[in-house]
Amino acid sequence: MEMNLQAFERFAVSYPADEIIFCEYEPGDAFYLIQQGRVQISKIMGDIEKTIDVLQPGEIFGEMAILEEAPRSATAITVGPVKCLEFNRANFEILMRGNPAIALKLLKLFTKRIYDQRRRFMILTLDDVQARVADVFLMLNEGQLEPQEETDERVFKTTAEDIAHWAGLSPEETRHVLNHFVSQRRLEVMTDKIVLKNINEFVRFVSSRRKKR
Amino acid sequence: MPRPMNFKANAVIYFSGDVSDKIYILKSGRISLNSTDIETGQEIHDYIQTGEFFGVKSALGKYPREENAVVLSDSAVIMFTVPEFEQLASQNTRIIMKMLKVFSNQLRRMHAKVSGLLAEDKQLDPETGLFNAGQYYLGKKRYEQALYAFRRYLTYYPSGRLNAKASEFAQKAEQFAQDYGAGKGPNISGVSTTTEDVSKPDRGRQLSDSAKEFYAAVSVFSQQKYADALKGFKVIAENGTDEEYRIKSLFEIGRCYYSLKQFEACIKHFTGLIQRYPKIPELPDALYYVGQSYQEKGDTARAGGFYKKIMSMSGAGEALLRKVRRAIKALEA
Repeated sequence: MEMNLQAFERFAVSYPADEIIFCEYEPGDAFYLIQQGRVQISKIMGDIEKTIDVLQPGEIFGEMAILEEAPRSATAITVGPVKCLEFNRANFEILMRGNPAIALKLLKLFTKRIYDQRRRFMILTLDDVQARVADVFLMLNEGQLEPQEETDERVFKTTAEDIAHWAGLSPEETRHVLNHFVSQRRLEVMTDKIVLKNINEFVRFVSSRRKKR
Repeated sequence: MPRPMNFKANAVIYFSGDVSDKIYILKSGRISLNSTDIETGQEIHDYIQTGEFFGVKSALGKYPREENAVVLSDSAVIMFTVPEFEQLASQNTRIIMKMLKVFSNQLRRMHAKVSGLLAEDKQLDPETGLFNAGQYYLGKKRYEQALYAFRRYLTYYPSGRLNAKASEFAQKAEQFAQDYGAGKGPNISGVSTTTEDVSKPDRGRQLSDSAKEFYAAVSVFSQQKYADALKGFKVIAENGTDEEYRIKSLFEIGRCYYSLKQFEACIKHFTGLIQRYPKIPELPDALYYVGQSYQEKGDTARAGGFYKKIMSMSGAGEALLRKVRRAIKALEA
């Protein structure tokens, strides 16, 4: 379905570089569709700002505000100059009727977000820290666009910090587990990537830990 | 073309783990979606109502089914492919609206569950969170961003407990942005002696006065100061000029009564509200509070009646429905 957005030009808003579109914890009443430029989605955790995503033209953000006025869960900052379409509850109806394609796109975005959160939750419910780290690799594998199915080996462009984030563990704890896997020759950790020797062995490992609960 | 299909009792329309682009709507019969609770491993049964779609999320999201769709008694369904579903939904955007509502509820619930298991993701109350964001940016000498956060704070919490600090910091941020520019300038200590007010207008995205008052009261409510929140909402409901926030406040007043355990007042208030505004989106929630109030008063028959009513409504979100199911179970126990 083609998206005809000309009719929505009156909802366009422009932002200079490095400008906050909305800040985490402020009440949200609008969501945005990027037309030009890039938007960084980040969250402050303690003394660091964690980048969750960098969004491109055609992508939607702030979508949780469509139906509920709950506080924003993250901050949206422009990377360079950005042009967005801004929708709120008042003009959302117009959008829905005039452009169901955007509404469907939103619907699909929600399905993806729910799936990702659910998957993340599954990792966090594992009590065994080794199984948690292993399950993060399984999740990353599921998300890879080109499945490398011929062999058991998988290469991930990721770091211990990223894995710690997904596993809900401290970086030290995560490094400890990774080193343990390395000593068992199940993993190789390099500066910019981690090689997993046998993905299927990890699948069995995680599922055995899950059943034990 | 969407295809009508018939299934015998005990048939399984799809299994958990299947990948498929089919979406179904139940015309007649009884179908249950059986899944396993991630946390407890318990089996969950979600019964599909006549006219309800199922299989939507996994088909649209192109991921494996998360439940078994089991036919309980002979059923008739209509099967859509994703493009067929999209065409139908484009012509009838109410379907999308309804699903967006359900999905956003589910997502919130999942978010909350995930945050609950993550120490680092501890949710602050919105007031503190917004102020902290400002402080973070100020500490990093990102003055424009700090200014944004503090101005927002001052807009939403005009009489917030961090108001004085936020004013000071906002002013500092503005001054340092001019004097030094982003990333430069001396460190700002936690305490400042400036007392001047920040009164530069915001970028034309101001909330109405009612909205501001509303959020202030919401923040009071979230601090569990229900009596104070009640006062705040009453002022908006009586004098507010913004109709949307006036009605929102009316709903919140009922919640305040409930939280204050004034169940009689809660019932009376919501009953009046429903009569005056039968079409408010919070209607199922309002009925839930009425049911809860009756239950608290020991009138289980009435409570049950309200719960049944909610179960039959189309506007009730998944989260609410779960609460209601739990309440019904508790009544039966």
